[in-house]
Amino acid sequence: MNLTPAQLAVVRQPPGARLFLEGPAGSGKTTAAVARLLALLDAGVPGAHILVLVPQRTLAGPYYAALRSPAAAPGGQVSVLTAGGLAQRMVDLFWPLVAKDAGFDPLRPPAFLTLETAQYYMAHLVRPLFDEGLFESVAIDRNRLYSQILDNLNKAALIGFPVSEIGERLSAAWSGESAQLRVYADVQRCANLFRDYCLQHNLLDFSLQVEVFRKHLQHSLLVSEYLKASVRHVIADNIEEDTPFAHEILQGWLPGLDSALLIYDQGAGYRSFLGADRASAERLAAACTTHLGMAGSLVTPPPLEQLGQRIGAALERPQAAPQEGADWDSALDFPPELRFFPQMLDWVAGQVRSLLDSGTPPGEIAILAPFLPDALRFALTNRLDALGVPYRSHRPSRSLADEPAARCLLTLARLAHPAWGLRPSRVEVVHALFQAIAAIDLVRAQLLAEVVYRPKDARLSPFGRIHPDMQERITFSVGNRYEALRAWLADYAEGEPAELDFFFTRLFGEVLSQPGYGFHSERDAGQVAASLIESAQKFRYAIEAAGGMDGKPLGREYLEMVQDGVIASTYVQSWQPPQADAVFIAPAYTFLLNNRPVEHQFWLDVGSNGWFERLSQPLTHPYVLSRDWPAGRLWTSVDEYEANREALFRLALGLLRRCKGRVHLAFSTLSEGGYEQKGMLLRSIYQVQLEEAARG
Amino acid sequence: MDQSKVRRLVLDPAEPFAFSQASLQDYADCARRFQLRYVQRLSWPAAQAEPVQENEQHLRRGARFHRLAQQALLGVPLEPLAQIAAADPDPALAAWWEHFTRLLPALEAGERRVELGLSAPLGRHRLSAVYDLVQVFPAEGRAVIWDWKTSLARPRRAWLEGRLQTLVYPYLLVQAGSWLNGGQPFAPEQIEMVYWFTGFPDKPERFTCSAAAYRKAGRSLMALVREIEALGPDGFEKTPEEKTCRFCVYRSLCERGAGAGPLAEQEDEGEAESGEIEIDFDQIGEIRY
Repeated sequence: MNLTPAQLAVVRQPPGARLFLEGPAGSGKTTAAVARLLALLDAGVPGAHILVLVPQRTLAGPYYAALRSPAAAPGGQVSVLTAGGLAQRMVDLFWPLVAKDAGFDPLRPPAFLTLETAQYYMAHLVRPLFDEGLFESVAIDRNRLYSQILDNLNKAALIGFPVSEIGERLSAAWSGESAQLRVYADVQRCANLFRDYCLQHNLLDFSLQVEVFRKHLQHSLLVSEYLKASVRHVIADNIEEDTPFAHEILQGWLPGLDSALLIYDQGAGYRSFLGADRASAERLAAACTTHLGMAGSLVTPPPLEQLGQRIGAALERPQAAPQEGADWDSALDFPPELRFFPQMLDWVAGQVRSLLDSGTPPGEIAILAPFLPDALRFALTNRLDALGVPYRSHRPSRSLADEPAARCLLTLARLAHPAWGLRPSRVEVVHALFQAIAAIDLVRAQLLAEVVYRPKDARLSPFGRIHPDMQERITFSVGNRYEALRAWLADYAEGEPAELDFFFTRLFGEVLSQPGYGFHSERDAGQVAASLIESAQKFRYAIEAAGGMDGKPLGREYLEMVQDGVIASTYVQSWQPPQADAVFIAPAYTFLLNNRPVEHQFWLDVGSNGWFERLSQPLTHPYVLSRDWPAGRLWTSVDEYEANREALFRLALGLLRRCKGRVHLAFSTLSEGGYEQKGMLLRSIYQVQLEEAARG
Repeated sequence: MDQSKVRRLVLDPAEPFAFSQASLQDYADCARRFQLRYVQRLSWPAAQAEPVQENEQHLRRGARFHRLAQQALLGVPLEPLAQIAAADPDPALAAWWEHFTRLLPALEAGERRVELGLSAPLGRHRLSAVYDLVQVFPAEGRAVIWDWKTSLARPRRAWLEGRLQTLVYPYLLVQAGSWLNGGQPFAPEQIEMVYWFTGFPDKPERFTCSAAAYRKAGRSLMALVREIEALGPDGFEKTPEEKTCRFCVYRSLCERGAGAGPLAEQEDEGEAESGEIEIDFDQIGEIRY
């Protein structure tokens, strides 16, 4: 590993040092930290005594890579964890010590809720209240409503205020119409209901895991001794993206550690809407013995850094430090005048192709947008496909239930359980057959469904009963496969219904993944099936842990929840190893937290205000529910404007600091919806240009 | 050309691979399974053994036992653990717990390392393992590796002897365990490996190591790794032992049958105790856009 003098200085600090290292993105902090980790191992520090703490998994990549390499000395395994993961691990391990005091039944094991199952229970509790008029004035999708209430609970836990204060804190900062105060009261009521229900049923959502750790475990003698023995050295990276909960843990550990390295990325802090707190991260510096700084960038050419500072100045950010005379213009690529949105996409695809033709590796290009809805992704990837551009995209919030393979399994489940009364439509059966049977096209799937499926009683009839002319049109090979599938479903329906995840598992293994069926050769369909089965299984575990359901089949409840979008509504793609040599298409924040610089960035639709405006969250508030927000202070439109400008500056600077070559701005005069657009990012760049022109 | 779903077919020459006893065992059992599971990272959610429900109960019971054992060895008072075991819906767990409490006094001696993770270079890759318990006797430079087995039937000694776990665990303890032994590697002769069976507490299976066995283990592991490194995309062949496929989830992909084999005939414990190092990221907040 070739290290700079500044990086070597970090590695060579005395073994017992408690270091606070700060610097901008790209200055080499993580590389230095990885080198120090390897140096600690080389010096004989047992790996089992080292903890690497990160705010989220994508940021742990360089540590995993180093620990996987033969360069790491043999020894105990280094732990790489998030603060939330640590809390869950400790609660699970030491449950018998604290269950009773924390208000749970100590004889039953804890049931950890996933985001999905927590949302289910929230929906279960809140739905009946809609009839009472709760949230009447809130016009958002119900699932977003549930997730924002959960978000409030999580923030209370991570920041460290009582759940009972959520409504009060939100209300005290509200300066708009008084009807919103009622909404906040409803939020509080639902949060209380959820918390009580969890305590009664031994359910631990993320907020309870954090609270139980903080209030009951952290100070238990056995747990302290365990942690003291197993965590002697800490490397905490990107602490500015972590929460006060993580910072509290570090604060408590620091005095007793054999060594520590805390890394703070200046100018970052992108996860504030998830409870991250830069200010509480900064306060950790005082608990460290040595303060080190890294300046400059090993990634970004000076013109791009300068452009970032100039954008900051245009946004009136006091911390921006623009310098005169830097040639930022060469690092910026403007499109020709494009009037319509599709023209902009054409331009982006064409530019990407040209870059590849001139020798740029695909993996050195990223196409970034504030959001990446399916329609935009589709429009863009179609163009890239047409030009033969290899790409990979990241859409963490894609719905599992929208995947054709999942829809197929869900439809077949409804057919196999006629008693549940969830009759699929003919169109759904067409798509299920199309996905399930190999070598069937949509026309024949439609023909087949029309003759074999009667939506009224949700039954499939045998292929043998079809008119011979029709059998021929559909073909006998398709007919045989259909018949085997139908017979399997009919056999199943005659017996006792199995748990839904078992049903999926057997249907997949015994039929759908067999030769001649649609899942056999389509590996990703298998992956989607695995995700759906896991979702159904975790749902069952959570319900069983809470004492089961009263009479209603659990599988039916699951299918209904999927239909309502409560379950299987998010789908974290975790299986795919990143293919370096493909153009990366992602939301801008996802790119930032992947932390992998590229040569060329395309900023898509840079005239859109999506780059500037915060997501609408009527039931929560990332700034008001932070540790430093003064009690009783109103959140005004000036605060909102300021916060958005600050966030935009950090976003732009963060992107520029992860660019090794050139930024290509993509925009059209008219937005996708046909409106003229001049969002804040574009205006700031124009302002920088004007200032430059005025200087001559 | 969407590359998001492109899967690797051979080991990445630029990236070290994290081998474990489970992945090596998979390779030894069937090279194709190794390729699908670890190189392509393909999830294939077919049943591993039938009846599916009983298999799941079996795996979950095993996981709960491992947790109770870990808690007991970490010093959680035994009384609440006994209450949890007694209250478990599966009566077998209470019986296993009772068996384990009889073993506990023997585990009190020496230094105990519970759920110990070790890792060492293996060629240009890495070899890792998580041990249920390593009991270290520093004065004697001796170590006992304990592994809890929750299988329905007690496996034969010959079968255990042929498992890569029996080879990897003592080997890796010598390679990576010097920090447990005052900075000195354990002498292979000083390492004993004990398989303790929850259902057959009085019939543990003990294996001792030797310098010759240790050297042979190192050569065998390197040979396996070199063999895997040398394989091309089509070189990962299906096992000729089709019996193995009954308990493999990829059987449909390999066109080796539809239904899973009977749980009672499965000699291995299933995947819940494979010894893989996993980090639970379920609770990590992801950016949601």
